[in-house]
Amino acid sequence: MPIYLYIDRGTFVHRLHPTVKVFALFVMFWSVYWVDNPLALAPVGLVMLWIAQLTDSWPNFYRLRWLFAILVFTTTIAWMVFYRRGAVLVDVPIFHVSRLSLVFGIGRGIKLAELLAASVLFLSTTKIEEFTYGLQRMRVPYRVSFAISLSFRLVPLFIDSAVTIVDAQRLRGYDFNEGGPIERVRRYVPVVIPVFMGALRKANNMAMALEARGFGFSHEPTTFIDYPVTGADIIAFAFLIALGTLSFMLYWTGLGGIGPLK
Amino acid sequence: MFSVTPGPHAVWVEGVTFTYHGAGRPALRAVSFAQAAGEMIGVMGASGAGKSTLAKCLNRIIPEFEDGDFRGTIRIAGESLEHLRVCDVAPKVGMVFQDFESQLFSTNVAHEVAFAMEQVGMDRAEMDRRIIPALEAVGLRGFEHRDPMSLSGGEKQRLAIASVLALRPSVIVLDEPTTDLDPEGRAEVFELVARLRAQGLSLIVIEHESEELRAADRIMVLREGEIAADGPPSEVFARTDLLMGCGVRPPGLGHALKLLGIDAQAESVEDAYDAIVRAYPRLAATLVDNSADSRAPEHPTNPENASTGSAFMAIENVSFSYGDGPRVLDSIDLRVEAGDFIAIVGQNGSGKTTLAKQIVGLLQPATGRVIIEGKDRAQMRPAETAREVAYVFQNPDHQIFAATVQEEVAFGPRNFGLADDEIRRRCDEALEAVGLLSERQSDPFMLSKGERQRLAVASVLVLRPRMLILDEPTTGLDHREQLRMMALVRDLNRAGIAIVIITHTPWLVAEYARRVVLLRKGAKIFDGGVREFFMQDELLRSSSFRAPEITELGRRFGRLALTTNEFVAWVKARA
Repeated sequence: MPIYLYIDRGTFVHRLHPTVKVFALFVMFWSVYWVDNPLALAPVGLVMLWIAQLTDSWPNFYRLRWLFAILVFTTTIAWMVFYRRGAVLVDVPIFHVSRLSLVFGIGRGIKLAELLAASVLFLSTTKIEEFTYGLQRMRVPYRVSFAISLSFRLVPLFIDSAVTIVDAQRLRGYDFNEGGPIERVRRYVPVVIPVFMGALRKANNMAMALEARGFGFSHEPTTFIDYPVTGADIIAFAFLIALGTLSFMLYWTGLGGIGPLK
Repeated sequence: MFSVTPGPHAVWVEGVTFTYHGAGRPALRAVSFAQAAGEMIGVMGASGAGKSTLAKCLNRIIPEFEDGDFRGTIRIAGESLEHLRVCDVAPKVGMVFQDFESQLFSTNVAHEVAFAMEQVGMDRAEMDRRIIPALEAVGLRGFEHRDPMSLSGGEKQRLAIASVLALRPSVIVLDEPTTDLDPEGRAEVFELVARLRAQGLSLIVIEHESEELRAADRIMVLREGEIAADGPPSEVFARTDLLMGCGVRPPGLGHALKLLGIDAQAESVEDAYDAIVRAYPRLAATLVDNSADSRAPEHPTNPENASTGSAFMAIENVSFSYGDGPRVLDSIDLRVEAGDFIAIVGQNGSGKTTLAKQIVGLLQPATGRVIIEGKDRAQMRPAETAREVAYVFQNPDHQIFAATVQEEVAFGPRNFGLADDEIRRRCDEALEAVGLLSERQSDPFMLSKGERQRLAVASVLVLRPRMLILDEPTTGLDHREQLRMMALVRDLNRAGIAIVIITHTPWLVAEYARRVVLLRKGAKIFDGGVREFFMQDELLRSSSFRAPEITELGRRFGRLALTTNEFVAWVKARA
């Protein structure tokens, strides 16, 4: 089973300079951060849909479809409970179903989905090495940028190991679904300890293997792959600046909030 | 005192002693040796003998990385390693570890090879010049754009070797590089080792299987941190008592010659055959008559034909795929009866573990069904299945979490709500069976790998299952621990528990199993007795599975012997 999200394709997004890709991730987060209104989130969403189509990243979205669904659904519902502004449309216990709470809840759901989608698109089109290189070019020290990018590689390995551990404990008659929410969390101790111990062992092995391959020899390691800046990078950079500016202007003018929809 | 001048040697080690922080005794004690340039040294010994500690000293992981007291001197190509960092030594000593997953960091093969070169600041043109030759050396030319994670175990390990080769070190140290590989992967790595040796590289190879190190120039056996033997393989492997005393499995051929009282060395089945024929000329004369033995085994045991009772567990026409992927199991039928001892073999990815997971209910068949004690397993919860069929995972660390051995074993029965008295009684019984009763209050994480593996068996044995599935139960164990583990499994089988082991190790199959199931690409292509299995030359070859050498030697005489003792007894009776 593939445990990484990177999909090796030759699209122009894949070929963009790593620094532009890291910058694009930052701009996506920035653009989503400033606005709450679902309509104001639409431009970023459309750009993401276009990139997903262009890069054929749909298999990764399909793999994570339940995560997206749960995230959007639970966030929307949660905000409909806590956001208690505006005139009630339907009288339901606990929930405050108003036009405002609906818009705000849906907006929050889309916001989270877009943050997740930006990450999925980035990881679908960016190799670990490019991520490291991109961070380095943004003046992040090599050791830090390598550690950040390596963590993306380790997380799926730990998830894989956790799945095996859950299986092993189930086969000893352990039921993870007993009790209330707190008890259920507590019942994961027989998983957390082996995962933690395994992670320490794996991290130790990896650290030894890294140093044995010369990691730390030079503060400025060279790069095997040449990443020339092309015209596409400049256009993409300009486009990203425009997108980030648009989102900020939506916030600045108040159009990105939920006020105008009252 | 060691007194070789350091000048011309690839490796020069003098008086190296290392004691891990908090350890009661040194892991290495005054170890001294010299390795000539182009020499291959095989290092053997029981777990804890100091093999990996020695390897880590050679590239400064010890004392740079591991806390402890280091004394002595190590020189590589005449240069002292003192005051160097691990990364400084990387261009001189290439190190390949057992855990291949932990030493691959990149998303394509070419980049993986470039990784070490990037770290030492090599320019791009030089990297370009070195990548292809390094991949060519390990037989991975054409794999440049592949994702390392998509490679097989053997290919991953060869890639790890290519990535150290690219730095052109004068010495390469391989620390149990094939432990986690199937027979095909092992063969790939040792063929590569032979090629590197032919190219004049200095190699130090740590390995448990003596047959794999016959081609070395020297064998060094470690015992409790000291060099117990150091000499040519023919000399060291002839000292079978010493090897066994050091927890090393002597090569079957040499051991057989010694038991037959023949003073000769055997580096191949042919050598052993010639030596025996010279010592017992009458055997050669009877060859034609005996050849019938190899066609008709003494105890034909096709279980499906010989079955007398009803099956305890039956798999009926089970097929399975992960998601939309290809079929991992294809129309499998299998019956297991009480008291069976079955070895499931096959290359990595052939469906062995998936089949085991179907039996215990961790996976559900796409078609077909699994019947346990007459009940459809689909109607049973995994916990319910666990009381009938227990599964011991390959890595014992995938389940250990408790503070004491006793609590770890008691976890299962507690989940089933048994009374405290009953839990205590069962824990005692299970710990006694696996030989860990005296360790009941010990911290499980402080046990050796072999002890942790036996603890994992006790943890499921305590539920008193009627069938036990063990996934690679001897992986990573030294010979002594392997024997102890398998003696335990045999005892459990004699007590009436049906045993299914998933293994890649031919001698385990020959010595312990009574029936073999061979899987290939998810299909069952053989299910029968062990003797019958080892007679299927074409089947073995096409499945990359080799009979133990002693079995091959026996067949040269027309006799199919599964163990050294069986072969020796037969020769003595005939001669």
